[in-house]
Amino acid sequence: MFKGVYNWIDERLDITPIWRDVADHEVPEHVNPAHHFSAFVYCFGGLTFFITVIQILSGMFLTMSYVPDIQNAYYSVEYLQQRVAFGGIVRGMHHWGASLVIVMMFLHTLRVFFTGSYKAPREMNWVVGMLIFFVMLGLGFTGYLLPWDNKAYFATKVGMEIADTVPYIGPYLKELMQGGEIVGAQTLTRFFAIHVFFLPAALLGLLGAHFFMIRRQGISGPL
Amino acid sequence: MAHGSKDEKVVYVGDSRVKKKSHQPLQPDYSSYPGKSEAFIPNFLLKEWMVGAVVLVGFLVLTISEAPPLGYPADPNNTAFIPIPDWYFLFLYQLLKYPYAAGDYVIIGTVLIPGIAFGGLMLAPFLDTGKERRFYKRPIASWLMLVSLAACVYLTVVSWDAYQHELEVMKIEPEHHKRAREAEKNALAGKPYNHPKPNDSVALVAADDPAMETYKKATCIACHGGELEGGGAPSLLGVGDRLSKEEILTVIKDGRGAMPAMLDTATKAGVTEEELDKLADWLAKQKKE
Amino acid sequence: MSQPLENKQPHKPATRKEMSRRQFLSYTLGGAGAFMMGGAALPMVRFAVDPLLQEKAGAEYIKVVEESKLTAEPQEFSFKRLQVDGWYENEAKLKAWITKDESGILALSPVCKHLGCTVGWNNSAAHKDQYFCPCHGAFYTKDGKQMAIARAPLDEYEVKVDNGIVYLGAIKPNTRVK
Repeated sequence: MFKGVYNWIDERLDITPIWRDVADHEVPEHVNPAHHFSAFVYCFGGLTFFITVIQILSGMFLTMSYVPDIQNAYYSVEYLQQRVAFGGIVRGMHHWGASLVIVMMFLHTLRVFFTGSYKAPREMNWVVGMLIFFVMLGLGFTGYLLPWDNKAYFATKVGMEIADTVPYIGPYLKELMQGGEIVGAQTLTRFFAIHVFFLPAALLGLLGAHFFMIRRQGISGPL
Repeated sequence: MAHGSKDEKVVYVGDSRVKKKSHQPLQPDYSSYPGKSEAFIPNFLLKEWMVGAVVLVGFLVLTISEAPPLGYPADPNNTAFIPIPDWYFLFLYQLLKYPYAAGDYVIIGTVLIPGIAFGGLMLAPFLDTGKERRFYKRPIASWLMLVSLAACVYLTVVSWDAYQHELEVMKIEPEHHKRAREAEKNALAGKPYNHPKPNDSVALVAADDPAMETYKKATCIACHGGELEGGGAPSLLGVGDRLSKEEILTVIKDGRGAMPAMLDTATKAGVTEEELDKLADWLAKQKKE
Repeated sequence: MSQPLENKQPHKPATRKEMSRRQFLSYTLGGAGAFMMGGAALPMVRFAVDPLLQEKAGAEYIKVVEESKLTAEPQEFSFKRLQVDGWYENEAKLKAWITKDESGILALSPVCKHLGCTVGWNNSAAHKDQYFCPCHGAFYTKDGKQMAIARAPLDEYEVKVDNGIVYLGAIKPNTRVK
């Protein structure tokens, strides 16, 4: 049955070579933990992606019960955490996952750095990776505000004051991010939009580039 | 995969103007690496997913055992709150505490040092251009990384310790702990916990009562607000639901918690015993409709 | 078509001044693409930067306290001012630490000039008779002069006294100390 459907599609679209290219490439021994236990350090990139997928999914589901509005944001978060079945777990996945993704990305970056894998011809992939790092930090910063509790509010206020100290453009930067003169209703909607649409879009693009380059160049050779 | 017979298959023809390249992949031929390589799917991916499954189990155990923290609704007037960013920003937050990265030199802390650190990291492949990949064969890059790492860890730890110390000195319990405690108490009592919404609050009862004047004269207004809504001290709206008239009178005279005994202050302001009694009466009437 | 012989030159690659058909098409494609992107993005960009271009409203004077209540020791007073935050209009609760001494009335804003936390008077045993910020340990003298960490003195409110009542206006940089 399944095979029949696959063949029907494949006859029309010739999809086999596409996934065959991904599936059949050889993974060398030096990154395979089954052969060298120390090769587990090569897992962190994949784990970062795995947690990122969890983040995207849990975030999508969280928006089912969240409103980015200063009077209701807190109560919607509290409601979904206290009243909705598994709400604490879904929000927990998103909350702890945010930290875990930073940890995994950090370890992945260190692995790439200390194995010198960023060297030619993989410079561009390193730069794209660093951009992913910044996007992730941006996601962390914007996401921190969304529950609109005191911790969120004051941490964002401090963040805005830091932005304010940048020479020349600082005050404009601050006001652009705040969407007004204070950290308030418009800051929350702005951060929500950035957290849910702008940065994830950038992240998906960068991840695509990251994976494309890995596929083109292959993993770096043994040391 | 079985395609039908060869001549039925759709064959896509590329742009005839583009010369077909003799495809030379950038990636090295792994057969030249020593050892056993294996196919990505399914052999290697299965191993990766094994690791992923183990991580997921640990992750789910964490999310089930540790509820995500949530404090109380944001209140811009809360002066007792000590801001703390997420842990991965702590090193930057701590950096700004040092005199050479604060005050007149704040640009050093907010732009210069992070700019150099992240800029250097970003441009690493163009700065460290040697062929050598092993970290112990390129000591400058490795040491720079190790020192920055140590600095970040140090700053993070110091920042966290300072935060804990500040909490201790100011006798502040982190809000998410307090809230979690309340939520648990209510859960044990069989009630769902939700923080009261501001519009759930009670309206002012009998605002034209003469006791309102006493309330102002006795300086209650300074902390409890012009409409009992609170400010420096808790709101008194609906206080009649919590305390009886006698209890209220005791609190006014002897103080309670952070509230000082107000009898002296009130007497000095010219409030009589009788007025005070009326005030307590009026406050006891502050009930939810 | 009878042209002099000398004009008949051997075949040279044509160096035409006008565009080739392909160039023209590429430019048109690029131009149309740029127009499509720009036309679509322009309203959005203007939409996003709007907060920067909005006119700032001045602050009105708010009645805070009777002048007779002020002392040389800073006291904290709260007052409210209408605050427009997008589609919300609410009463912002503001705080001021007000002192009255020989050089007049000084109403300081408790917003720390380091990173915007809230300072308090005499709230730290180590900093007696000083404003202290719990966030990064910045502290200020009674006049709001910064002693450490912060790079500017505490801001002050415009003060107006009318009929023995103190009114506070907009927040401005400290005028007493630098």
